[in-house]
Amino acid sequence: MRTQLLTGLGAAIAVAGCIPVQIQAPDEPIEINLNVNIRQEVIVRLERDAEELLENNEGLFGPGGQ
Amino acid sequence: MKRNIAIASALAALAAVVAFSMPAAAQDAALNQARAQGLIGEQADGYLGFVPGASISADLRGRVEQNNIQRRALYTRRAAERGVSVNEMAAAVACEVFERRIAVGERYRTETGQWRQRTAAEPAQMPSFCG
Repeated sequence: MRTQLLTGLGAAIAVAGCIPVQIQAPDEPIEINLNVNIRQEVIVRLERDAEELLENNEGLFGPGGQ
Repeated sequence: MKRNIAIASALAALAAVVAFSMPAAAQDAALNQARAQGLIGEQADGYLGFVPGASISADLRGRVEQNNIQRRALYTRRAAERGVSVNEMAAAVACEVFERRIAVGERYRTETGQWRQRTAAEPAQMPSFCG
């Protein structure tokens, strides 16, 4: 009985919680940042690896220079 | 005459085999030329891209795609070893490339997707995620 009451109460709260939410479409177009998952501290940690990949695979990357 | 044709076709077959098994180092001449001509360029995502409006031959397109496949394989392997995402490994390489592998006159694509040309006056615009 008590369990039923609690379940009912929970459902009521859940339903009540859902009703007032209104989703408005933003006026501005959403800007998608492709680099959102790039963590700077990870990039810093990978610096040595990146240098090594460039040195060991010269044919894959440009020579650079002036 | 028949023999000449046989020799010629044998040579052609050999050339095809050599071309397809060409090591990465041997490909750089064509790609470097295309870089210098502003047809292709380095991107902030760690891969090569085609400059908009450039006329890209099928041969060049194939070389670029092959190059990017090889890059992706490298990034994937190293990313797995370091426990990071492939995109992060690629981005780390892009930072190095932007710092020292884009020559004056070459075009490159920034983090926000714009194509720019490297000038003698200033270095390539670094992506924000670089250290």
